[in-house]
Amino acid sequence: MTTATATTPSRPGFKLDSLTQRYLFLILLIVIASVGFGIANENFYSLANIGILLRSIAVPFLLSMGMTFIMLTGGIDLSVGSNVAFSGGVGVVALTATGSAPIGFAAAVAAGMAIGAINGVFIGRLRLSAFMVTLATYALARGMALVIYNADSINVSDAAFLWLGGVSWGNMPVVIPFVALVFVALSVLLYKSTFGRDVYAAGSNINTAFVLGRRPERTLVWVYVLSGALAGLSAIITVGRVSSGQPWAGLYLEFDAITAVILGGTSLFGGRGRLLGTILGVLLYGIIINGLVLTGTNPYLQSLIKGMILLGVVLLDTLVQRRNAQ
Amino acid sequence: MPNFGRLLREKNIIFVTLALCVLFYLISPRFLSLDNMSAISRQIVPIGLIALGQYFVVVSGNIDLSMGMGSVLFAIVLGVFFGLTGGVALGIVAVIVCSLALGFFNGVLVAKLKLPAFIVTLAMLFSAQGLSGLIIPRGQQIFLMGDFFRFIGAGKFMGLYWSFLFLVALFVLAYVVYNHTRWGAYVIAIGNSEENARLAGIDVDRVKIGVFMFSALCSGLAGIVLSSRMGFVQPGLDGNGLLLDGIAAIIIGGTLILGGRGTIGGAFWGLLFIGVINNALNLLNVEDVWHQVFKGAVILAALGANWLLWQSRQVEAH
Repeated sequence: MTTATATTPSRPGFKLDSLTQRYLFLILLIVIASVGFGIANENFYSLANIGILLRSIAVPFLLSMGMTFIMLTGGIDLSVGSNVAFSGGVGVVALTATGSAPIGFAAAVAAGMAIGAINGVFIGRLRLSAFMVTLATYALARGMALVIYNADSINVSDAAFLWLGGVSWGNMPVVIPFVALVFVALSVLLYKSTFGRDVYAAGSNINTAFVLGRRPERTLVWVYVLSGALAGLSAIITVGRVSSGQPWAGLYLEFDAITAVILGGTSLFGGRGRLLGTILGVLLYGIIINGLVLTGTNPYLQSLIKGMILLGVVLLDTLVQRRNAQ
Repeated sequence: MPNFGRLLREKNIIFVTLALCVLFYLISPRFLSLDNMSAISRQIVPIGLIALGQYFVVVSGNIDLSMGMGSVLFAIVLGVFFGLTGGVALGIVAVIVCSLALGFFNGVLVAKLKLPAFIVTLAMLFSAQGLSGLIIPRGQQIFLMGDFFRFIGAGKFMGLYWSFLFLVALFVLAYVVYNHTRWGAYVIAIGNSEENARLAGIDVDRVKIGVFMFSALCSGLAGIVLSSRMGFVQPGLDGNGLLLDGIAAIIIGGTLILGGRGTIGGAFWGLLFIGVINNALNLLNVEDVWHQVFKGAVILAALGANWLLWQSRQVEAH
């Protein structure tokens, strides 16, 4: 029963279901925020700024996508931020050693997947708490990044390696179509493949999924590997953006990714949520941060506003749903 | 000795910690010197306060992510009051009031509005981080000087730091409350099944709010201790590192992250474990860059070892 409701997402009838409601609410907030920032600063709608905005949310976007898969299984991944630094370090070192950008790319993604595999095996196979395991790899990956870089940044000048994160076609950073492609691929994976149904099944009720032969223990391993691979891609983009590899790259990005996924209405307990919600969450987040940067706001005020948005959206949503239920 | 195996399984953190102590002693005899022991006892106090507050929250089936950044914020509140008045009393009162208010706010949102604790306290983490930098501009410090800070930061009684004695006293108090009072039993009951606890007539909301107020108070105390030891406050302190060390301590000490199970003694040993590792990395001149690697690997190893022991118990049970 549980898996049946999870594998066929409920359709909106006469009454909008709560997820759709949340999406409409987020869209409304995004519109309000963009109109507000547009009035406050005429540069907000310039093509250049839109390019900057979209580029700045590329990395949080990729990480949040991976986090969505994980949170749909009821897990959490605190290691993604550290993993961005670690896999970036491996990629940069491989690039310097071989001089070949493809090998650098492959090394970065493989390194990200390796951290993901550690998480996945401990969480999926040994059934240990995701919070605890990824807390350990959070320290481990950051530490290895510091070791690789020897706590110092490494400049990268290889044009091919920097292409993905650094190059723009006119006002359009190449990373945007790339991220869009990743999104399409992940949507197919989540909504059109058996794996996607396994993800929902594992998150809805892991015991039922097990009894039904859906092998949730295997699904869990793969969602963490997926998240690691996306961290590897994010690392390549991050290095490309600043033309150097940095040991403190991605610090606390996991908190941002988790926030975006929660904003998007994905349940913390698994089994419920969609990628669309995460996109809206990342967009809202990105627009507000970008708007604030453009108006030159103190970074600490941004933290405060982040907290307020998160609490405000979740609180309003809960209150609305409770009123509807009555 | 049939009981030894059981002892090893259930109290494995004690053996692991003691084994690590022996190992570090063999590498560097200075590790077990009196000076170093007392250094460890002082270093673990802020983490211990975070761990203790977090312990009740976790056992009740929740989590408080705002504790680390909360400590930084409360340290700054203390610093600002000290800077303004030059006295300590008002600052301490302000920290206690602010922390209880934050805990009350967290608790009400979690208990009355049924929001997940993870989300509420994550939002508070960001807000506390933001506020701490808005109260004092980035890069600016307030220096804390005077007898009070020297007493909290470095005062000793019969060779032991007052702050450590204070922490031990709090743990003892927590042990009594957790094991021998109704309130402790309520916390465990709620962590096991909120529904059952409610049906049993427990005022679940009230206990939950209490748990969050206690954790916030602990983070306020951690802020006081931390800033006294350093002698200054500034917004850029690593509150999240403190939070994660505290959580690691109680989980390594055998507290179930899903709630309902754990022991105060285990939490204390978990705290010693984290303290020993943090200290040994410095003492043994491990290069700074390796610290995190080592810490992550040790936590993973501890988790793996726990799993192996758990497996052997399963086999034995069959």
